[in-house]
Amino acid sequence: MYLVANIDPNICGATSCTLCTQFCPEANTIQYDKERKTAFVSVDRCKGCAQCVWVCDNMAKHHAIKMIMIDQLPEEFANKLTKNMSYEQENLKPSPINK
Amino acid sequence: MSLDYVKSTPGFEKFMPKDYRDMIDHGPFGKKVSVSQVGTFKEILEEHPMCAGCAMTLFIRLSLIALPNPEDTIIVGTAGCGRLVLSQAAVPFVYGNYGDTNAVASGLKRGLMTRFPDKHKDVVVMAGDGGLADIGFSMMMHSWFRKEKFTTIMLDNEVYGNTGGQESGMTNIGSVLKMAPLGKKFEKIDMPELAKTAGCAYVAMVVPNNPKRVEQCIKKAILIAREVGPTYIQAYTSCNIEYAIPTDKVMEDAKNVENDRYQFKEYISEDAKQYLGEKWGYKEYARKAIQTAEVAK
Ligand SMILES: Cc1ncc(C[n+]2csc(CCOP(=O)(O)OP(=O)(O)O)c2C)c(N)n1
Ligand code: SF4
Ligand code: SF4
Ligand code: SF4
Repeated sequence: MYLVANIDPNICGATSCTLCTQFCPEANTIQYDKERKTAFVSVDRCKGCAQCVWVCDNMAKHHAIKMIMIDQLPEEFANKLTKNMSYEQENLKPSPINK
Repeated sequence: MSLDYVKSTPGFEKFMPKDYRDMIDHGPFGKKVSVSQVGTFKEILEEHPMCAGCAMTLFIRLSLIALPNPEDTIIVGTAGCGRLVLSQAAVPFVYGNYGDTNAVASGLKRGLMTRFPDKHKDVVVMAGDGGLADIGFSMMMHSWFRKEKFTTIMLDNEVYGNTGGQESGMTNIGSVLKMAPLGKKFEKIDMPELAKTAGCAYVAMVVPNNPKRVEQCIKKAILIAREVGPTYIQAYTSCNIEYAIPTDKVMEDAKNVENDRYQFKEYISEDAKQYLGEKWGYKEYARKAIQTAEVAK
């Protein structure tokens, strides 16, 4: 058994600053759920480094992330595996034309 | 190396893995994405074997998000940790022999300029401090002397991370490492100054704990390399294994190192400023270009 990051949606949802998402070394791992207004971890990609915990505690100062054993995850987040991901896309504009 | 190559053949989409379909439908190809939007689009980097919490991984992740046109980019890397993640991204990756990166990139860029004269194909070298400052030193310097139009990014973890902790030219004086037990006897090479002297049009020193800044540096360096000249970015990307940094303290370390010896520095030549202002709408430089023109009158 090993530790993964778990985000408390109630604390995160209050501000959902998205800071941890920008600091996780792994790609496509801390995702953002617009509907529920919270960041969440695709646990199958998390390497358990706890960098996001430091960022949420010390930079965002929101204390919304805890490291927990992977078998202790609240059910709703255990279901958020990469294979169940859906991406939001509303804000993406075409890139400047490359000529 | 083009948007059309990335797309699936019609009718075959359903046979592609979900990750691939997500990349086509929700990835950054042909779109404008920014680090402030991460978590809402599919990144082009997949899972890889780099150590947990490695700052180099974070820096490369941010760099890939910052590529102005990922569909028209080729990355050149070499032996060292960085290639373990670069080779897992949906951008063509060329593995230059250890030390050869900037020679390979020179030939590649020239070939691309001949083959696609009406389009920019971006070539970006990303390699370790050992790969560039030691074994690749002469090839890197000569690519700059020759004004080759590509970007060189040094992943500076101040050690040979991949081979277990030997000192490199970029290791700090006095550092004791597993395979440098007496401590390094010489100063860290001042590569940004050498890059300036050798003729780079853009030089920057960054740490990964400011994602927005990393993004801006990468964008500027790649755009300038398209038409003005060689560009160089040196990024502090600590090796938490060889320097025994607890993974949850990697960003704290980056902050301390930034305050100590890795303050943000950026040099942009006048030509490059004008180019960014006129061609790419960078307002801060456009204004300056107009002012200098007026002073000249
Ligand atoms: C010509 C050659 N010499 C030596 C090696 C062995 N080698 C592989 S990775 C590496 C060190 C890489 O250090 P650096 O470039 O600083 O990158 P890092 O792993 O620290 O990111 C060495 C010496 C090699 N692959 N090829
Ligand atoms: S840093 Fe904390 S509060 Fe901000 S998005 Fe991440 S978990 Fe939520
Ligand atoms: S523990 Fe590390 S890998 Fe896992 S979500 Fe946090 S920063 Fe990402
Ligand atoms: S050995 Fe060091 S540089 Fe290489 S992946 Fe591990 S932490 Fe990163």
